[in-house]
Amino acid sequence: MSIVKSTKAARGTVQCENTNLNLLKANDFVADIIRKEMAGKKTLLVNITSSAGSGKTTLMQQTAERLKDKLTMAVMVGDLETERDAERIRETGIQALQIVTGGICHLEAQMIHQVLPEYKLEDIDLLFIENVGNLVCPASFDLGEDYRVTLMATTEGDDKPKKYPRMFLTSDMMLVSKSDLLPYLPFSVEAVTKDALEVNHELEILQISSTSGEGIDAWCDWLVEKVNAKKEA
Amino acid sequence: MHETSIVNSIFRTLEQEFDAEKLHSMKGIYVKVGILSNIEPRLLMNAYEAFHLSNPNYHNTKLHIEMVDLKIQCESCDYITDVKNYRFLCDKCKKPSKNVIQGEEMLIHKVEFDD
Repeated sequence: MSIVKSTKAARGTVQCENTNLNLLKANDFVADIIRKEMAGKKTLLVNITSSAGSGKTTLMQQTAERLKDKLTMAVMVGDLETERDAERIRETGIQALQIVTGGICHLEAQMIHQVLPEYKLEDIDLLFIENVGNLVCPASFDLGEDYRVTLMATTEGDDKPKKYPRMFLTSDMMLVSKSDLLPYLPFSVEAVTKDALEVNHELEILQISSTSGEGIDAWCDWLVEKVNAKKEA
Repeated sequence: MHETSIVNSIFRTLEQEFDAEKLHSMKGIYVKVGILSNIEPRLLMNAYEAFHLSNPNYHNTKLHIEMVDLKIQCESCDYITDVKNYRFLCDKCKKPSKNVIQGEEMLIHKVEFDD
């Protein structure tokens, strides 16, 4: 009696596939499409991130007031619910659209890409993405931006760069906001600067206050310089 | 919340890569998660369990999570440093560096299928 050997692998064995699949592959793919579109239209795309309540929307209003005669700017703003922030920004006379994420704690490239057709990009020099207020998840999602700017309000405490390192590592600029409150708070600009630079030695840092106006000129000059550089690129 | 999107991306990524029949026999998913990815392994596991409730197809698939430490490679002297306390400084020449070579990843590095 002969036993016929099966050519199939024995049952119960496990077959493995070694892969190298980036979980954010789909996001990064869409982010690249956005980057290319922005390069074609020569629109500067700036992603504004921070904790909730650090003054992103107020900064958008201030920036719109200062720059509206110099360049055309527009904003898209992400929140879990409501249209409030977009309404506030529209009061300054610039185009602002709300992305309601419905519970998602960050913006993804796909959401930005879906909203882009609503803007006449060829006429817009500077487009801001006001991200969901959160220093954690938004750090991982590339939105195709040219620059990532993180607000760090004095009211949050000066220990944030080491607590949320990914955000500060991936940012180009840190704005220490609400600087008018410094006399009343146990916040050390020196300590926050030291920690932030330990995480990211290339990080640019400005101290601003949308209330007193401190640093807003320097911030607007930075933006105008980047907008011009993009036009010439 | 973030972990739920990550679990969805895991399956979205796999569904793009493999056909439905093959995925049906999927036994294990091995992910490598860097310390900088802001993913908390326990929460990711919870989100994974929750995903099963609404997607019984993948009931027999186990998730294995490997956390990966943070390393930078110095641009000046090539030395590789284990980053401690998020001080991005070369241990050897003390120069700052952002050249992260490990610790940012969110990867599916192995998938197991039942034969």
